[in-house]
Amino acid sequence: MSAPRSVNRRTLIRNAALLGLSVPAVNALLAACAEAPTSSNPGGGGSDAPLEMASPDNPVTWPISDDNPPIDDGMSPEAGPLLIYNYADYLGPQVIKSFEEKYGVEVKVSTFNDTDEMLTKIRTGAVPYDICFPSYDQIARMVTAQIARPLNHSYLGNLDNVWDVFQSPWYDGEARYSVPYSIYTTGIGWRTDQVTDDIAGMDNPYDILWTPSYAGKVAVIDDWHTCMAQVGLRAGITDVNTSSADDLSVIQDNLTELASTVKPKVNISMYNDLPAGQIGLCQMWSGDVVNAQYYLPNDTSVDVLQYWFPEDGKGLVDNDLMLVLKGGNNPVLAHLFLDHMLDEKNSLKNFGYIGYQPPQKVLDTDRLVADGYLPENLATAAVQESWFDTGYRLLELDVDNDQAWHRIWQQFKAGA
Amino acid sequence: MTAAPVPATKEPQAPGGPAAPQRRGIVGKSLGPLLALPGIVWLLLFFVAPLYVVLAVVFGGVDPIFRTVIPVWNPVRWSSEQPIYVLTHIVGEDGIFGPALLRTAVYVLTASVLCLVIAFPIAYYVARLAGRWRGLLLALLIAPFWISYMMRMLAWVNLLANDGLVNRIVSVGGLFPGDTVWLSGHSGVVILGLVYGYVPYMIIPLYAGLDRLPSELIEGARDLGAGRWSAFWRVTWPMSRPVVIASILLTCLPMLGDYFTSDLLSGSPQTSMVGNLINETVLTPGQTGQAGAFVLLVLIVSLLPMVYYVRSVQRADGAVV
Repeated sequence: MSAPRSVNRRTLIRNAALLGLSVPAVNALLAACAEAPTSSNPGGGGSDAPLEMASPDNPVTWPISDDNPPIDDGMSPEAGPLLIYNYADYLGPQVIKSFEEKYGVEVKVSTFNDTDEMLTKIRTGAVPYDICFPSYDQIARMVTAQIARPLNHSYLGNLDNVWDVFQSPWYDGEARYSVPYSIYTTGIGWRTDQVTDDIAGMDNPYDILWTPSYAGKVAVIDDWHTCMAQVGLRAGITDVNTSSADDLSVIQDNLTELASTVKPKVNISMYNDLPAGQIGLCQMWSGDVVNAQYYLPNDTSVDVLQYWFPEDGKGLVDNDLMLVLKGGNNPVLAHLFLDHMLDEKNSLKNFGYIGYQPPQKVLDTDRLVADGYLPENLATAAVQESWFDTGYRLLELDVDNDQAWHRIWQQFKAGA
Repeated sequence: MTAAPVPATKEPQAPGGPAAPQRRGIVGKSLGPLLALPGIVWLLLFFVAPLYVVLAVVFGGVDPIFRTVIPVWNPVRWSSEQPIYVLTHIVGEDGIFGPALLRTAVYVLTASVLCLVIAFPIAYYVARLAGRWRGLLLALLIAPFWISYMMRMLAWVNLLANDGLVNRIVSVGGLFPGDTVWLSGHSGVVILGLVYGYVPYMIIPLYAGLDRLPSELIEGARDLGAGRWSAFWRVTWPMSRPVVIASILLTCLPMLGDYFTSDLLSGSPQTSMVGNLINETVLTPGQTGQAGAFVLLVLIVSLLPMVYYVRSVQRADGAVV
């Protein structure tokens, strides 16, 4: 065993010198790191003002600030390329191609997994995306932080094609910053060869997810708010954004019961797992059950798929948006793309690819079935305009309430 | 009469002249640090710096609007809110993370023991008994590395599907139901997935260590009357202990952070591991700091066996000296 090395004066001085040299370098590195976004509005503008929460009871018309004005009328489109930021497989390639041919530009689509990732990357400003596809509960933050660019409606003639409810929605009065992209409900999907109960005929159809005999065949949506809100609906809690401790306790108890009774999978791949037979029963977005028909094995009839949503529309209804981003280099082209997507033919083509219904005035359940977009047994997946008056909307929650919901979700996801 | 002093043998002069030994000394002294430099730079860039970023995130703040993490680089301004939240929610009434942490420990320990039970005989056979087949067997052992971990897990998803091969075999041509839902919250399936995924990472280092064992000692033990089992237990096993520990570490550490084995082969919260907690919290606005706290927790836990390994290697070195 060798004797421990003693530190002599020369070594000490040399190490001190090295340390002295490295400290400024580390400082420089940390300073460079500190230039990463540390506030809500990197890239200028915006404010740290408290976030205003829009809701059907508190409709909001977002202000347009002088340093983030809409583009002028009658401008020529830029040369592109147009940079689009979207979920994977949430934009039909045919409609992209037709836009490229119409305007002689290139469209590049980048994808994200969830809208939080989307916001984080947009805020870095690393890529000047022109358009993104958030949900309506993100618009408050995007407008407040001046990430979104106000729209000039003179480029959006096709906005008249969409349902009246979206001409001036409560989350974005006068559609100043957004146009609607897709609409969907959250219901229950199942396979008739694995689930024999008459779900629609049950007193409380949500109960089916808690049925012990379906243990191992059940899946719920891996989205805290959607999943927990539907669990709340099962228990009769129709305030799907509740801040009541009692309501949240009931939701927690129901989630615990769900976990112990049927050990559900928690994911967002129902559109694949249900037709593949890996699950037989699940919470499901209507767009996913429409898509599921295309994932069925060749020897399986589409009749095996079923979808339930309350007939009176008193369930979860949602919509996604298209926004023009302030940091993009092609604002005129971006407006034209939005208008392209609001065109009736293009939106139908897109629906055929993504499975999520556009809020076009010409579309109703009968036409969707007649035109073959929906098989007869999945007519319940068609979304009706009136449901946006009667249905329940998932809203952005204040910080304390958000944490309370997340704590329950964390416990559920941790298998505690 | 005294013997005439014997002249010292004249050393042949180095081509470089009398200054050469001194120069060689300088080169010799600087060669070590020079060779170590890339490793040190690598460690600084890819371990120390990321670790500091994790610390800045764990002890950082949250954007008031976007709820995203704001790293705080100055330790003086660090806040311990997030790590304290994690630590106070492990046990007790609010212990929402405890079950997943305990589950992780059980899964990883069980999978590691199973890996060792499978890997040791294989590695021993290939290293010491395979003879001319050793090269081929070694190539076959490395073969799983040619396919990505995720692809191998996806293959199991197909095999364990409701209508997959496993259920068809279990049903024995329809004699039995064969309707087991394997891919929904079975701890055993997740553990076997971990074993299947990580056992090659144990076989290779075990093979390398067992191959280098001095056969003279084992032969000596046999010559002195030890039976096969006695020679193995009293000579081979003690000598191979450091490599066994190293192999277990090599598999344990990635298992501790694994989340997609549980995601793919179960997808149920009933089999959530600490990796799943990290994956879940890192993507949740306002909880990224908690993810960093879990990372630190795993790091601290994994340091314990590392320290044991270093000490056991030092002891082994001391014994050899």
